[in-house]
Amino acid sequence: MLSPGYIARRVVHALVVLAVVAVVTFFIVRLAPGGPAALADPALRDAERAAIEARLGLNDPLPVQFLKFVGNALRGDLGESFLFGTPTTQVIASRIGNTLILAGAALTLTLLVAVPLGTLSGLRPHSWIDRIVSFISVVVLAIPVFWLGLILIIALAVLRPVLPAGGMYTTGMEGNLVDLLRHLLLPAVVLASASIAELLRYTRSSVRSAAKLDHVRTARAKGLPQRTVHLRHVLKNALIPVVTVIGLQLPRLVGGAAVTETIFAWPGMGRLSVEAALGRDYPLILGVTLVVATAVVLFNLLVDLVYPLIDPRIRTDG
Amino acid sequence: MNRTLMALGFALVCGVAGAQANILQLPLINDPIMNPLIAPDLGSILVNKVIFPGLVRPDENLQPVPDLAKSWTITNGGLVYTFVLRDDVRWHDGKPFTAQDVVYTFKTAIDPKSGSRLASDFNSIKSVEARGNHTVRFVLSRPFAPFLILLGHNAGILPKHLLEGKDLSSNTAFNRQLPIGTGPFKVSRVVPGASVTLVANKDYYRGDPKLAGITFKIVPDLNTQVAQLRSGQLDWATLEPSNLASVQNVPNIAIKEANAIQHFLVFFNLKNPLFTAPKVREAMQYAVNRKAIIDGILKGYADYPTGTIPTALRTYYDKSIKPIAYNPAQALKLLAQAGWKPNARGTLVNSKGEPFKFTLIVDKGNATREQAALAVQQDLKKIGMDVTLQTLEFGTLVRDYLIPGKYDANLIWWTTPPDPDQYSFYATGQDNNEASWSNARADSLLKRGRETVDPKARKNIYNAYQRLTMQDPPVLVLYYPKEIQAINKDLTGVPDLGIRDALRYTERFQLR
Repeated sequence: MLSPGYIARRVVHALVVLAVVAVVTFFIVRLAPGGPAALADPALRDAERAAIEARLGLNDPLPVQFLKFVGNALRGDLGESFLFGTPTTQVIASRIGNTLILAGAALTLTLLVAVPLGTLSGLRPHSWIDRIVSFISVVVLAIPVFWLGLILIIALAVLRPVLPAGGMYTTGMEGNLVDLLRHLLLPAVVLASASIAELLRYTRSSVRSAAKLDHVRTARAKGLPQRTVHLRHVLKNALIPVVTVIGLQLPRLVGGAAVTETIFAWPGMGRLSVEAALGRDYPLILGVTLVVATAVVLFNLLVDLVYPLIDPRIRTDG
Repeated sequence: MNRTLMALGFALVCGVAGAQANILQLPLINDPIMNPLIAPDLGSILVNKVIFPGLVRPDENLQPVPDLAKSWTITNGGLVYTFVLRDDVRWHDGKPFTAQDVVYTFKTAIDPKSGSRLASDFNSIKSVEARGNHTVRFVLSRPFAPFLILLGHNAGILPKHLLEGKDLSSNTAFNRQLPIGTGPFKVSRVVPGASVTLVANKDYYRGDPKLAGITFKIVPDLNTQVAQLRSGQLDWATLEPSNLASVQNVPNIAIKEANAIQHFLVFFNLKNPLFTAPKVREAMQYAVNRKAIIDGILKGYADYPTGTIPTALRTYYDKSIKPIAYNPAQALKLLAQAGWKPNARGTLVNSKGEPFKFTLIVDKGNATREQAALAVQQDLKKIGMDVTLQTLEFGTLVRDYLIPGKYDANLIWWTTPPDPDQYSFYATGQDNNEASWSNARADSLLKRGRETVDPKARKNIYNAYQRLTMQDPPVLVLYYPKEIQAINKDLTGVPDLGIRDALRYTERFQLR
């Protein structure tokens, strides 16, 4: 059972983490050299530059800017994006759905590929299938994401043009599900590649450890059919820690999509974070960081809360 | 079930028929701001060229020809410009276009509080007023020859009935979603981060555009742009020389070059005593092998420089001026005259034995510029200068080094309107004269150049200025780049101009 004290502690902990992220991000982005892209045009005259600085509120001392930010943030206002000229929350809202589609597809792909293959590998260690799967997963882990993306684009969109080279929809076909799926396939594969390799290896070792447990040996000794031993005794135990790892993959997919989204011109949060950073769009950098941090914290919280339910050995009263 | 899956798989692989034909697809790297007065980046400027015509537009010689204005007269020694406007123009929302719109646009453009980025282009305007519904009169505070050219450059006209009294910068609905212009195409849909779709404007004053529409697709990565060009998802993009190999010999793509009105240069901080003597800067012109940079790094897509006025400005460029050829011996001779001689180890030193040592900065991430900076560094090392190369992110380079003058030398470029006026870049004490160059004769020529309306007299002035900058170079001009365009061979009707000026003519474009 989850005690109310445990839940309260976890929630407070989550809030503290978010506050720390906000403060650190605020000061770190302002310590970075350069400044907002709006000011980076060398042909701007001094007066024009000063007018822009005043409009963006960059003339105030840093502590004043910070207090203003905190005050507004507590009211749910994360400020106006320098690049977009619209409230940061609106910019993020227009992109977050696209990232969830991509991350969701990548996660589905990860589960469909990694869990069965990892299980198979774990149940038949050192077999030819295990060797092939292990080899491929190591290779995939070693390939840089941008390179894999470009290779797939060249192979499947340029040389053999069977899939689109980027974007989310063909122009004029926005909202068409089949068109979306065609555009989704390559970026989802690229985004999922590293997760698949990782989860596969984790599942394999978890299955292997579970297969060596005493009660599994007993079950085998009792003469239970292989299938029953695997499903009821090995997998049930092996997949509990795998659930945790899956829980930790999703925020990584949301936050780590920057490269994939840029290469595939996917209009999501990852690319937004790159644009915000390159343009020194302070409010947007903060907004995106906070959203991703919230996702990470929420999933961690969820895992913390769910874990004792699926594995009663975890104590929650300490 | 199996059949459904097979059909879905087939559709996924083959694509779904139904994407509309006769739509031109162009790339952008980020969401545009669709308002010519506040557009901060090239992508926004490109979109605005299609949506918001100006009073004039540049012809293939970059000279202004009528657009929203039918005709004009210049009186009072170049101080008064009177424009007669077309009376058959309607805004995309159906309202008639009038002289009031022009007055509103320029009053806002010169108001420093409006957030306008065109304030300095038009600060010569003393007053602008409507004379009836279709006549506008500008009175300038001083004769300003580039005025007409600037009217055809970025100054698209905005609708007064939608914007008057509103804050330009925070008017998101207009700037980001539904701008209203008078151009041949109007915005029909904006998908943030993905695309801006324009459809033909059936009420366009020159008749129906030939294309059904134009889509600006947001494709931030240049390699992806090239891939999309090759797969037919884009029709027209500008390339870096390093991308050329990937699109050459692709059946449906033609490579075209257009004149860019740019000069790439190395700024020397003239507050640094190393560079004060004109002889030193002249010597550097001999020391850097600019032909090798043009042929090797730019694959020949650039012209050899003679001064700061690019060849693209045909009307004013003096072809008779002989370029300075690569000649390290001559460089060493001039440096010796300025007091710098190689020591026993080949290092250039002055009479006190101090080395000629400085840092050259360049922005990070653009292969062409990084390689050019490396070539400059190597060439200067060959004559004994101790040059350190430092790469910085562009915003940092401009904000923290260039503008506060905290640099020795800096590889950068100027993009100018199609006019030879360079007063703000090279006249003494001007904001954009980051090198702090000062030459009394140049000041006088640059001032006369912008005040002289007669083209012949103007040409003579700029020819004299061009000659002067060969002897006392304000900066080390490296090359005048060409714009490299990769273009779908089915696209016709495009005038022989750089992409930003060509987009003023989209009503003539056609996809076979």
